[in-house]
Amino acid sequence: MTKWNKRGIIIQAPFAAIGEEMNFAETDEHSMIREMVREWAEAELTPTIEHRDANQIAPIEEWAAFAELGLQGITIAEEYGGMPVDDISEAIIIEELARVDASFAVFYCVHVGLCCKTISLHGTEEQKQKYLTQLGADKVGAYSLSEAGAGTDAAALSCKATLSEDGTHYKLNGLKMWVTNGASADIYVLFAKVTGHPDYGVKKHGGVTAFIVEKTFEGFTVGKKEDKLGIRSSDTCTLELNDCIVPVENVLGKVGKGFSIAMNALDNSRIGIAAQALGIAQGAFEAALKFSRERETFGTPIGRHQMITSYLADMATEIECSRMMVYKAAWAKEQHYENGAPRHSLEASMAKLKAGDTAMWVAERAVQIHGGYGFVKEFPVERFFRDAKITQIYEGTQEVQKLVIARNLT
Amino acid sequence: MPNIVVLVKRVPDTNAKITVSGGSLDLSAVKFVISPFDEYAIEAALRHKEANGGTVTALTLGSDACDKVLKDAKALGVDNLVRLWNQGWENLDSNGVQSALASAIGDLGSDVVYCGKSAADSNAGSTGPGVAERLGWTSVSNASAVSFEEAGVEAMIPTSSGQARVGLNFPCVVSMDKGEMEPRRPNVRGIMMAKRAVVEVISAEAPTPTVNVVRYSPPAEKPPGKTYEGAGNVPTVVQALRNEAGVI
Ligand SMILES: Cc1cc2nc3c(=O)[nH]c(=O)nc-3n(C[C@H](O)[C@H](O)[C@H](O)COP(=O)(O)OP(=O)(O)OC[C@H]3O[C@@H](n4cnc5c(N)ncnc54)[C@H](O)[C@@H]3O)c2cc1C
Repeated sequence: MTKWNKRGIIIQAPFAAIGEEMNFAETDEHSMIREMVREWAEAELTPTIEHRDANQIAPIEEWAAFAELGLQGITIAEEYGGMPVDDISEAIIIEELARVDASFAVFYCVHVGLCCKTISLHGTEEQKQKYLTQLGADKVGAYSLSEAGAGTDAAALSCKATLSEDGTHYKLNGLKMWVTNGASADIYVLFAKVTGHPDYGVKKHGGVTAFIVEKTFEGFTVGKKEDKLGIRSSDTCTLELNDCIVPVENVLGKVGKGFSIAMNALDNSRIGIAAQALGIAQGAFEAALKFSRERETFGTPIGRHQMITSYLADMATEIECSRMMVYKAAWAKEQHYENGAPRHSLEASMAKLKAGDTAMWVAERAVQIHGGYGFVKEFPVERFFRDAKITQIYEGTQEVQKLVIARNLT
Repeated sequence: MPNIVVLVKRVPDTNAKITVSGGSLDLSAVKFVISPFDEYAIEAALRHKEANGGTVTALTLGSDACDKVLKDAKALGVDNLVRLWNQGWENLDSNGVQSALASAIGDLGSDVVYCGKSAADSNAGSTGPGVAERLGWTSVSNASAVSFEEAGVEAMIPTSSGQARVGLNFPCVVSMDKGEMEPRRPNVRGIMMAKRAVVEVISAEAPTPTVNVVRYSPPAEKPPGKTYEGAGNVPTVVQALRNEAGVI
């Protein structure tokens, strides 16, 4: 991992011995995973994405077909029916999905990264047996932290959980917002403040607790589905909790310890969103390159006009830079969990910041290269352009990434 | 239970743009894959095992760059991976390749060998029959379907008047065409199996090449296509199809 000193000078490069251990070659397994996902996404997502995007239809049918690849369980141990892969593979999978369909990519990213991984890390044996086995099969997961008044300022969340008199369950009340897979999911990792906790009302995040909530629990309703600018085939919903009954066994981690679970989950999954952004940029770039070879003006393909060539060169370079940062962040995460290396928060935030901005910028250039054709739905860059924007907003806005990065430097 | 061998070859992706520079092939930016007809051979081999038990060994001849296609086969479900290679084999001719493969197949003790009807790079179609010839085994080519018997296989092959179902006793070689058996795709469990798999490297004798490539040259460039738009152009298109292309 790169180490910076207080003056911002690098005191240790990310790779131990340049020329000796530094190896950028993709392993055979990474290539195989990339090929498998690419082939699947092109065959199964391409034909339906336009329709799903136009009509805001969640990719539920595609998800069922996707399960055959076994990738829904990559953050679940084998004993619970999962099939773990390394973190670079996870990034590659999300990148390849987003290259074709950014909505499916976030559907997947939230399932594996925010829901399954969080239960894998903090769940009890019983919780893992009960929930990971379902999530590793065909059930869909979601993660619900945000509320109308609590986004960046997540600790301001106001949903309350009150322990029943007999101590068997909590009653949850309040309104959650912005829940990806809100309607599609069966199992939610959901955050609320336990009113009886000693810190409740004392500290800002006092009492925040993670719960595993099933869609079928009494008092749980999926509310409004948002009508969005981009990732329109991903269902983003509100969740209404009206005396929602959650058994005490479904507390994830400890009561009152939910805030750190939430933050931990976000900087794990942030790398996934960075990978989504990378895939969007790659998809938009490929479309622009193709178009630049086919479209002729003044008797020559526009890709031969020097200005367009320059755009393409800059786009490819920015994408490659993002790719390096995303894979490196994934590698740092792997080092953290497998080898006890320091946490990867800095790498994750840098990757998300760079890849998100690159996705937005590349998608915009891709529209520009298409001219008028980039402004209409016949060409995929119009969708990539709309989809790119969200990568600068969720899982920590770009401003938040800068705060995290700056905090790590001083 | 049958000892099944499937031959796989690493070839440039059929969508790849292959360029020739200075009389030799430039494959630096080309992705390599299992030759497409070999995927049908793998499918046949796996179905054979699923029907009658036994083991499936994927065999390739090539340098360590070919381990990837063996692992691709492993991800689909084959049991063993064997790579055949010797120093100085970079320019083996077909005679050498077939002799070496035949000797390896003999050593592996196989009952039945599946391979693709031709490889996507050379398109020669000689490996299956050539290997069978050297082993003195029964063989058929261009099988579109196979079914599995206790001591042999039945294969559907094209004939001048349609199709024939032919029976072959072990030991035999079946070269597969694209047919009714859709090749399976890998899943992540298979890929993780492939990650752990070990490629066994063996060697054999091969005769010195008697055929050498003198130089490569690209095929002549196709003339650019013509585009016409609008119903008003139909007579022009018809004329062009008749007079220039000579197709109607
Ligand atoms: C499509 C979509 C899907 C989502 N999916 C999920 C999900 O599955 N689960 C979930 O829990 N949430 C989800 N979210 C919520 C998302 O994480 C929040 O929208 C995001 O954290 C921003 O919060 P906010 O919208 O309340 O904006 P605000 O926090 O109100 O921010 C508004 C602006 O102010 C800036 N800002 C805020 N505080 C500071 C500061 N201290 N310094 C500098 N600038 C600041 C922000 O960066 C932003 O530009 C989703 C959102 C969307 C749009």
